[in-house]
Amino acid sequence: MNYFKKHMFDKYSLDRHFGKAPQEEPAQEENAAEINEDELFTFAEFDEKKSEVIAAPRYSYWKSVWKTFVSSKITIAVSILVIVVVAFAFIQPLISQFDPMKPKHPIEYEYHFLSPSWEHLFGTDGEGNEVFDVVWSGARNSLIVSLIATAIDMVIGIVIGAIWGFSKKMDKWMIEVYNVISNVPFLLLAMILAYVLRNKFDQFGEVGAFIPLIFTMTITEWVFVAYFIRTQVMIIRDREYNLASKCLGTSTWTMVTKNILPYLISVIMTYISRQVPALISYEVFLSYMGLGLDERHASLGRTISQYTSYMSGYPHLFWIPVLILALISISLYIVGQKLADAADPRTHR
Amino acid sequence: MSTTNNEREVILSVRHVDVAFDVGGKKKFKAVSDANFDIYRGETFALVGESGSGKTTLGRAVIRINPCSAGEIFFNGERISGKISRQQDRDVIRNIQMIFQDPAASLNERATIEYCISEGLYNFHLYKDNEERIAKVDKALEDVGLLPEHKSRYPHEFSGGQRQRVGIARAMIMEPQFIIADEPISALDVSIRAQVLNLMNKLKKEKNLTYLFIAHDLSVVRFIADRIAVIHLGKIVEIAESETLFKYPVHPYTVSLLSAVPMPDPIIEKQRESIVYTKEEDDPNASPREMREIRPGHFVYANDEDMVAFEERLKKLESYHAEQA
Ligand SMILES: Nc1ncnc2c1ncn2[C@@H]1O[C@H](COP(=O)(O)OP(=O)(O)OP(=O)(O)O)[C@@H](O)[C@H]1O
Ligand SMILES: [Mg+2]
Repeated sequence: MNYFKKHMFDKYSLDRHFGKAPQEEPAQEENAAEINEDELFTFAEFDEKKSEVIAAPRYSYWKSVWKTFVSSKITIAVSILVIVVVAFAFIQPLISQFDPMKPKHPIEYEYHFLSPSWEHLFGTDGEGNEVFDVVWSGARNSLIVSLIATAIDMVIGIVIGAIWGFSKKMDKWMIEVYNVISNVPFLLLAMILAYVLRNKFDQFGEVGAFIPLIFTMTITEWVFVAYFIRTQVMIIRDREYNLASKCLGTSTWTMVTKNILPYLISVIMTYISRQVPALISYEVFLSYMGLGLDERHASLGRTISQYTSYMSGYPHLFWIPVLILALISISLYIVGQKLADAADPRTHR
Repeated sequence: MSTTNNEREVILSVRHVDVAFDVGGKKKFKAVSDANFDIYRGETFALVGESGSGKTTLGRAVIRINPCSAGEIFFNGERISGKISRQQDRDVIRNIQMIFQDPAASLNERATIEYCISEGLYNFHLYKDNEERIAKVDKALEDVGLLPEHKSRYPHEFSGGQRQRVGIARAMIMEPQFIIADEPISALDVSIRAQVLNLMNKLKKEKNLTYLFIAHDLSVVRFIADRIAVIHLGKIVEIAESETLFKYPVHPYTVSLLSAVPMPDPIIEKQRESIVYTKEEDDPNASPREMREIRPGHFVYANDEDMVAFEERLKKLESYHAEQA
């Protein structure tokens, strides 16, 4: 109560005490002396928590990905194109029932080499087949093979790459494995596998015919995916938030799935968007070389290779499958890239 | 503030620790050399030094992120450096937690705050059922002044100070005995530094914690540390109780650090211009230095010649302060 003591004996207090009128109005602060001390220190009501409230609407990663993705008209247009083309490749062959072993009009010459028209959309080829049917059956098989091969490559590559990126011990020998596998001459390997595996999986029916090709496309490809993921993991492995997780006892596997892979969605999407078209081209290339699907199955590659011989007389026969191939590859690539962009939270608003 | 009772219990003991990094080829860079000190239960021990002096490196050596290339670290009397069993490793994690230097980098941006804070609970199954886990998270959020509704938010929606408090909550929820706070406020705006410091002090009292508080600025540390170690280029040059260090700084580097902060102390203020400490001004064939106890509880990195000079300096300071009193 020092405060009061001091004020009790100054002139103003004494004056008051003895009932004299103060000579001058005391200043505002001095008036405060009259208020009792407790009141002096009661704070104005203030809700501290209010300043912590976040007003922004809830953020959801996948919702934002979707919003960003559909915010561009071009993206929507290309996506629709992809859906139509892919759906068409899967539905049209069911309707046409095209079978390369059963040419439609092998000897009726009047059906050969018809020009494109409303009746024969892409025209007909040297065996009287509708080019329309041939191309879409081929596209379907190319898509099936490349999508499955991409899925296998990515799954194996991501799992191995993620562990590889974390383990310094594994890195030492995996680098050697990578060097060896990535230097295997691909064409040689493809030839060997094509001859060794041909007809080995016939008991699995139609799927069996795809297995050798898918095998060829995955036996070495995964290592490139793994190497790519390994590098990405190494880049973010030692970031502070991962050290924090380590200090909380998080296992390596949980780190991979919760801390690392979510950051890699975007780059993985980019990789896939290049991988699918690349493997479609692979399929075409291998089939073109006679190392792909056998002759019982339609294939864009073999179709292109067959139609090359008509290049001088009926060039449209060659260009149509090539253009369809380009259309599928490019549109898939664009959609993949756009998805990758949308998956990058830096593009989110 | 400073506890000088005799039966102080050592919680962490760092014995002649070196931390070296590979820097290409066979070369090694010693980021910390011969660190040697004890931390007592219940105190705030500050480690102060300029940027790049090895503070983070040493803190991370304690929490086993950086392996020690020499020396040993003991926690509650048990060795926790080098190869230890899995169970011991888990004990270390439960009992020693870290608050990271950079709140912008130390939270997983792809996880919700709920996950960030629950992470340790998941790893050690520190809850009976999901309800209890959520209750614990809510409590932890409340302890650091955040709201339960923040659980479903993502780190990028928070300010630096809020993020740092999430970092504090995630360490506290483990109920550790010992916390390494790596410059917990240096990345924060000046206006919220005091808030986070007060919070840490409050939690320390409530939960009976011991802090290793890393800072690059003596002025911050003065009011929260019981004892201070000054580190320079990977070497600890002086350790003393906080008040002692401010009143009787003996090592020239400590003096230069103090001179970098405007001080109300006239003797330091007077010397201010004259002190620019460069480490290798001393001749290379000086006899090797080590930590020596110049006064009880006051250690300085010195050899015999240094000790003479330091003693003289200390005498001067003592007579000055005696005069003042
Ligand atoms: N992983 C590493 N590899 C090689 N050198 C490193 C590594 N980590 C740290 N260093 C080096 O060790 C020294 C000490 O770094 P440290 O991060 O401990 O400094 P600090 O005292 O925490 O500095 P700041 O105040 O800037 O955080 C620096 O010279 C740094 O370059
Ligand atoms: Mg640091």
